Amino acid sequence: MTDAGTLEETRTDELLELGSPWVTIVWNDPVNLMSYVTYVFQTYFGFPRREAERLMMMVHTEGRAVVATGTREEMERHVEAMHEYGLWATLTKADA
Amino acid sequence: MTPFRRRRDGRVSASFQPAEAQLLLSLAKEAVELARAAATENGEADPALRRLLPDAYPDDPEASAEFRRFTAAGLADRKERNAQVLIESLAAPSDHAVRAVLDEGQASAWLRTITDVRLVLASRLGIHEDGDEGDIHDEESAMQRAVYDWLAGVQELLVLALRP
Repeated sequence: MTDAGTLEETRTDELLELGSPWVTIVWNDPVNLMSYVTYVFQTYFGFPRREAERLMMMVHTEGRAVVATGTREEMERHVEAMHEYGLWATLTKADA
Repeated sequence: MTPFRRRRDGRVSASFQPAEAQLLLSLAKEAVELARAAATENGEADPALRRLLPDAYPDDPEASAEFRRFTAAGLADRKERNAQVLIESLAAPSDHAVRAVLDEGQASAWLRTITDVRLVLASRLGIHEDGDEGDIHDEESAMQRAVYDWLAGVQELLVLALRP
């Protein structure tokens, strides 16, 4: 059994769920060259050279970097594109 | 090979010795096979091929499987097409040096194909972490390691030439 109030809350939760951001993460691997990873970040995401290099260094030293934030569908498109470039990318919920 | 250089028309070019061109051609043909194999069920079970189409959701096998279902065929097709671009741009190797002249799109296809081949070689050689030398135990693995390093050099020269 339920009442109108609970139903309302559930709906709000679902809406928040739909709107909550996802992130694309690129992971370090021993294969890809630093110059190539920078090239991919510049070419695909359109980052300026310095930002692309900063993210590349983060992947290299921290083991991973968030390179994009947005809807789940957008992040799936980015991950697919990264896989075409041969970068190891995954997506996850931003708060996970 | 000579280093890739930017031409006045914006394209980049390099020339390869016949043996180098032959090696690139055979690797690109292998990349076509690898891309096709990666999208099959066998490819899912082979760690080297799996690296070409990795899991999209690290903690969610179900979502990863669904992502794979929707993307694997298209990705494999595009990887195959990239390798075909490399094959076509080297044309038929002759007794002389072969000159490759690439626009941005062709250069990008080269970079991706070289990456795919190196990813598979690395996995087969047991290169899993930064600094791994790989399991070099016979002539074949030594040759694979040499090819892996040579391809890194080709890729580096190409990326550098593409920089504005």
